[in-house]
Amino acid sequence: MSPTRPAGVVEAPRGGHVGGGTTPSPTGRRRHSTDAGPLPYVLVAPVIIFIAGLALVPAVFTIVQSFFTVNALDPPTRFSGLSNFRNLLESDAIRSSVANTALYVVVGVTLSTVLGVAMAILLQRPFRGRSLVIAVLILPWALPGVVEGILWSGIFDPNAGLVSSLMSDVGLGGGQILLGENRVLTIVLIELVQVWQITPLSVLLVLAALQLIPDELYEAAQIDGCSRWGAIRMITLPLARPGIAVCMVQALVATLNVFDQPYVLNGAAATGATVTMQTYFVSFQNLDFGQGYALSLLITVVTLVGSLLIVKAVYRKVEL
Amino acid sequence: MPVGRVIGIVLAVIWSVVPIYWAVKTSLQTEADARSTDTQYLPLRPTLANYARLLTDDGDVPAQIRRSTLNIVVECGLATIVTVVLATLAAYAFARFRFRGRTVLFYAVLATMAFPPYTTLIPLYRIMSLFGLVNTYAGIVLVYVSGFLPLATWVLHNYFASIPQGIEEAGLIDGAGRLQVLRHLLLPLAVPGIISTALITFLFAWGQFLFPLVLSSDLSTQPLTVVIAALQGRHVVPSTLLNAAGVLAIVVPAALALVFNRYIVNGLLAGSAK
Repeated sequence: MSPTRPAGVVEAPRGGHVGGGTTPSPTGRRRHSTDAGPLPYVLVAPVIIFIAGLALVPAVFTIVQSFFTVNALDPPTRFSGLSNFRNLLESDAIRSSVANTALYVVVGVTLSTVLGVAMAILLQRPFRGRSLVIAVLILPWALPGVVEGILWSGIFDPNAGLVSSLMSDVGLGGGQILLGENRVLTIVLIELVQVWQITPLSVLLVLAALQLIPDELYEAAQIDGCSRWGAIRMITLPLARPGIAVCMVQALVATLNVFDQPYVLNGAAATGATVTMQTYFVSFQNLDFGQGYALSLLITVVTLVGSLLIVKAVYRKVEL
Repeated sequence: MPVGRVIGIVLAVIWSVVPIYWAVKTSLQTEADARSTDTQYLPLRPTLANYARLLTDDGDVPAQIRRSTLNIVVECGLATIVTVVLATLAAYAFARFRFRGRTVLFYAVLATMAFPPYTTLIPLYRIMSLFGLVNTYAGIVLVYVSGFLPLATWVLHNYFASIPQGIEEAGLIDGAGRLQVLRHLLLPLAVPGIISTALITFLFAWGQFLFPLVLSSDLSTQPLTVVIAALQGRHVVPSTLLNAAGVLAIVVPAALALVFNRYIVNGLLAGSAK
């Protein structure tokens, strides 16, 4: 729309910026103090309308309606105080899903954090082909959780699956894994699939923190006679705490809300059903939306509180 | 490089690709070979029959897979375009203008990122059914866009904020309007950020399952993920065909992740510095 400007003016800074490999930096914030009239409001209006109408209002809905009886089979909608929450406590299916979810969270957060930190340390120093390795490690993050369930059911299949085949081929025959029988084993195996999905983001987050640690620290430690393990314990882990905190928070959010993998691998079976699955069942199969709201609110509060606790316990400001 | 580190890296790579390999292998076998207790770790007699069946057969299952592939492409494509366009406009305003209410509005947008993904599942379903948008592309795209806008706005805001102010000041002095500055000076510079945002939005949309499970009731809008999960539950679909469908569902995201991994990594890191 601006024919007066020679193309060169537009093109020149572009090469410099992109070629310089500039990465976005949240600290680079500077503001224009021009009075721009209504233009900024016009620009942000669509996003604000979307967020208000399809995120904030629904969230308020969830909070308010969890104190109402909202049941398609039991109209009309009416205030019912804490009865939705009382019903939650009394339901065996929901109590068992809470216990299951707790196990998913513990296994998932622990495994994805340990694996994420370990892989990030492996990738900390540059080597030939590192970016290719990173590209491959990201793959599981990019795939739909449902399809990952399909991929892993081929690994877990008791007859021709990879694990049972390997076990019988090395003489450990009879070691059949059957999802849905033993509760702890079922949950651990299903969670392994989710760990496969969420660990890549953990690796990236921790790796980003590791990249900020100056090499001189390791050189000084080496001169002081510090072993490789010592350096990891005394330098790497403490300085990676901001990255580890964020990686644990994303793992907590993912595991507390896990749905796709258990739904595909274990169906509605009580051995692996999660709170989010129960939310889906009570709302969209029993049509008891009020109870679904109460469950949603419960998960939301637990997720927010849990995230804050992790940040408080793990996050430390690091100055380098 | 120390041997231990090499072994560790090799193990990490194996861990990341083995389930994908196993599905590809199974999809290239006949059902008899794949089910054989004398397990073949390589597809010794590879066949493309499963893919041929999915792509050309008139049967029920292949037709469902083809239709839901069309659905997922339409839904993810539309959601990505709308998200990126709206987020770019808002991010530009938040990064470059001072206006009354700016901080409050910006934090209101960011605050929704703290919600766990399914907080609004039930109300969104009820809103969509109130407006007759259940089982429509519009309903699914609206929900996706509302879910992805906060992260997209945040990533793009950081990107715009990192672009030196002097560039647009020169443009403004030249007498260009703010929108012209955005279009001709800032947008070209923000291309990497826009690509990152578009890729992440598209991949998020492609992975959705519970929202479309609730919001689409038949094959007119069900995406591939929903149809594949339903087929898995039926236990009558041959595992080799199911794996071929699974491979079909991961080809697009896997290719994007491999080819554009640098953009994805940058975008994820820019987005997670909450």
